[in-house]
Amino acid sequence: MYNYSVFVASQEEFNDFAVHAPKVTMRAPSFPLEDLATGKIVQMNELWRSEVALIEFGSFT
Amino acid sequence: MAAESMERLADRYADRAVRSVFLYTREAHPGENYRHHRSIDDKRANARAFVEHSKVRRQVLLDDLEGTAHRAYGMLPNMTWIIGRGGMIHYKSAWTSEADIADALEGVLELQANRAKKQWVAFYSERTAWSTRDMNQFKAGLLRNGPQALADYERMIQATRASRTAPSDEVGPRIPGNYYRTEDESGPR
Repeated sequence: MYNYSVFVASQEEFNDFAVHAPKVTMRAPSFPLEDLATGKIVQMNELWRSEVALIEFGSFT
Repeated sequence: MAAESMERLADRYADRAVRSVFLYTREAHPGENYRHHRSIDDKRANARAFVEHSKVRRQVLLDDLEGTAHRAYGMLPNMTWIIGRGGMIHYKSAWTSEADIADALEGVLELQANRAKKQWVAFYSERTAWSTRDMNQFKAGLLRNGPQALADYERMIQATRASRTAPSDEVGPRIPGNYYRTEDESGPR
């Protein structure tokens, strides 16, 4: 379940990140995201259209 | 997560054509005060609490409720990526370290400046990086989420210790301090 209610570390996640997630030198995948401040939809590839994109993933917790 | 240091980093590189954003995912350590998301409104509310608490100035972007972008990028809780102008991935890190990111950013900007002019050629590389962690601060953060978050984390640590009695060669890029130890470091197995 993606939005788990109880934290349980998964060893597979780290392996998946190394093996299955895109690697450096590959093309970055793009998805629609919501701008928290405006509510507007932003396509990820707009982030790197004319600039270098630095993307930190995370949450409050 | 080192929100303050990442804000400073974003400020430092803003005038060098680096766009820094925070992509809000699922809750890594949900607790009584900040629950897992049952709706996109839950996600928005927790993201707003995070922005206010951590004084985030970067653009905050929400993934959808199912974590489509988060899943595609490897689903780790505190990872950072650098994407070059045009869309090539230059850096992926299992953990967010301001010092390591600054080092990588300098390399990316240098490459982009010299690629055509000096015919520099990019090549694939992997390496380890390091980070420090203030466990007292980390546990204080878990308690802010709610007592359940700390209890879940401590339960996970106990379970991980119990299952790590026989080291495996197949150790992935885990969080700081959780990596394969060579014979020099841990003695013959």
